[in-house]
Formats: sequence, structure tokens, C-alpha cells
Amino acid sequence: MSTLLLDASVVLAAFDRDDAQHAPACALLEGSPSTLATLDLARYEVANVAIRAWRTPEAVAPMLAVLERIAGDGGVVASTGALMTRAAELAEHHSISVYDAAYVAAVGEGDRRLVSCDRRDLVSKALAVLPGDAG
Amino acid sequence: MAKVMVSMPEQLLAEVDAEARRLGTSRSAVLRGFADEALRRRRADRAGAIRELLREGSGHHGGDAAELVKATRPGP
Repeated sequence: MSTLLLDASVVLAAFDRDDAQHAPACALLEGSPSTLATLDLARYEVANVAIRAWRTPEAVAPMLAVLERIAGDGGVVASTGALMTRAAELAEHHSISVYDAAYVAAVGEGDRRLVSCDRRDLVSKALAVLPGDAG
Repeated sequence: MAKVMVSMPEQLLAEVDAEARRLGTSRSAVLRGFADEALRRRRADRAGAIRELLREGSGHHGGDAAELVKATRPGP
């Protein structure tokens, strides 16, 4: 059974009923038979969107609680120096931000797959799959 | 099927063997069953907790989560 590494956009989409990926993101979080994992960066990013974009601070706690559930399942990958060094290389190679590249680096070797709602920089470059395609 | 070597306390191994005798199966089958059951239970717990958090916490925020993540990241 593979491990799915979720970026912040998947959790945000699950909490936003207006998001085009809302239903598949919910289905993935609620019903995936795979182990779920994430990167520590996701905690900052979901909180940042809730505060800066949604202006909904009360959304922070439940989203962090979901990330804690994921942490208790497949774990939270730490942004170590080694991971960020790899992220910098990937960012340069794929012309993406180091933030996005950190998630790609967190996938690492093995049978992990990155799941994201980011079509523009990740899905279009085959660096991630959409929630509905994660299986 | 992959073969693994597992270390465990003798008392625990004795209980595993007793369970294997009770079920009329092998030690390996019992350990596989325990591992499978533990992982299923953990996924079910995860799913139930997340379902409840989504039910209580989701709302209407305008969509486009992926772009909002990028827009709210610190600038250069």
C-alpha cells in the first residue's frame, strides 16, 4: 500500500465547499485506504490561508487537527537541511518555488506519491496528482 | 511474500503462538492478521475523526486553494 503525501492545498480544499477539488479532497481524507503523510510546511500554509485570505481564524484549529490526524498516520516530514537542499535543486530544475519543491522533495524515494490541487506548477509537470486521481 | 525477522519478548511470542494454536494456523498468519487489523483500525479512526472535523469546520471560502497558498506565501 502506497503512502500519499498531501500538500496544504488538499486540506484547504476539503475545508472549502467552493473549491473545485472539495469533494475529491474530502473523499481522500475520509476514505483513502492508503497511509497519509504531509510536510511540516503544511501547518504554516493552512494557517496562513485561513488568516490572510479567508479571514477565518476559527478555521485554523480544525485544519491543524486534520494535519495532526495525518501526522498520527503516515507522519509529518521535517524540512531538514538535506530536504531543503534537494528542494532547491528541484526548484531550479522544474522552475517552481522552493515551497512547492519542498513537497516534491518530501516524496523522496520509494512508493510515496504527492497529492496536490496545484495544477499549474505540480500536476501539469507530473510532480503530483489531483486528489481524485490519487486512488 | 516478503520474509522478515521480528524480535519480540518471549511472553508476547508465547501469546502469539497460543493464538496460532487456537486458530489452527501459523505464527506468521497470526502476525499478519494482527498487523492488518491494527492498520485497518487506525485508518478507520483517522477517517471518522477527519469526517467529523470537516463536517463541523468546512465553509464557503471562494475556492482556488492552491492559488491562495501561493498568494499568501512570503514574498522575495
